[in-house]
Amino acid sequence: MEHIEHLEHTETPKDMKSQIWKTFWILLAFTVVDIVIYFILLSNHSMWKNWLFILLGVVKAYFIVGVFMHMKFERKTLMYSIIVPMIFVVFFVTLMIIEGDYTNLLRWFK
Amino acid sequence: MATNTLSTERKFNWGGGKSPFSVSYGKLMMWLFLLSDAFTFSSLLIAYGFIRYSFQSPIHNLVVKPFDHLSHDFVQEMVEKTKYFVQDHWPSPELVFNHFPFVHGIHLPLFFVSLMTFILILSSVTMVLAVEAGHRNAKSEVSKYMLMTIIGGAMFLGCQAWEWATFIGEGARLYGNPYGPRSFAALFFIVTGFHGFHVFSGVVLNVITYINVLKGTYEKRGHYEMVEKVGLYWHFVDLVWVFVFTFFYLI
Repeated sequence: MEHIEHLEHTETPKDMKSQIWKTFWILLAFTVVDIVIYFILLSNHSMWKNWLFILLGVVKAYFIVGVFMHMKFERKTLMYSIIVPMIFVVFFVTLMIIEGDYTNLLRWFK
Repeated sequence: MATNTLSTERKFNWGGGKSPFSVSYGKLMMWLFLLSDAFTFSSLLIAYGFIRYSFQSPIHNLVVKPFDHLSHDFVQEMVEKTKYFVQDHWPSPELVFNHFPFVHGIHLPLFFVSLMTFILILSSVTMVLAVEAGHRNAKSEVSKYMLMTIIGGAMFLGCQAWEWATFIGEGARLYGNPYGPRSFAALFFIVTGFHGFHVFSGVVLNVITYINVLKGTYEKRGHYEMVEKVGLYWHFVDLVWVFVFTFFYLI
């Protein structure tokens, strides 16, 4: 475990504690926004509402990964090695949306 | 000449002799594990989306409003009178997950899961505070925040156990449920179960780390990196819950 001493420390902000609490309030605010939208659009089952919730989820994910998981302050190399492969998830989502359309079509509109 | 090699060395991170990512081996491997785990959860949630999309969208609920009083055999009534839960239509989670502990017969959609989300976010904050205290080598603070994180995780698991017990009590099984398509309850159990198992493993890891903090293992080692690694895992569990919450309850 000695090798850790030799690592140059990636920058950690001095005011980490206040940043943590700020992030907590942001996450809480977004969760409350989620809940408020949920109740306002309770009887609405349209597609854009789903995308809105997913977008809010991605924003929350940004703050969790960025501040709580310290990703914002890591080397760019590490950041991209973890974030860029997530493009496969986007790819898979796209494929399944197209495929889901066909499945839906075959199932209900014969 | 000497300064020249030094500067090129500094620029050239992949020359060997040091971590190009500027993190320790363990932390990098934790990140890669979390990446693979993210793929697993993505696949599960995409499967959920795909299967749900292959059914007709939920029927509009124009009957029950939040805080409405419901009769005891509400599900049966809804099935018979309003044709709300049918095989062709995916059920709207609003009329399925509408219970709250110690409150009976009142329609409270989303309230209980919002509480669970709040508990998990809070335990994530105490975890990151433990990591921050670890940077300062403040043993008592690390142990305090670790204990709070463990309590938060245990509370979340308790909530999930209650949620499952209620859902099973209403007749939901892996092979069928009274709300409509079979895959509805099956996917719920598989995905929340998989996430709950992650929470459980996280609590176990937290307990082990907590014991080691108390024993002074990391104080002797000179750094609290293990708290950081366990913390990464714990935040990931919170991150996954954000999406499970979105797909299973909000949408």
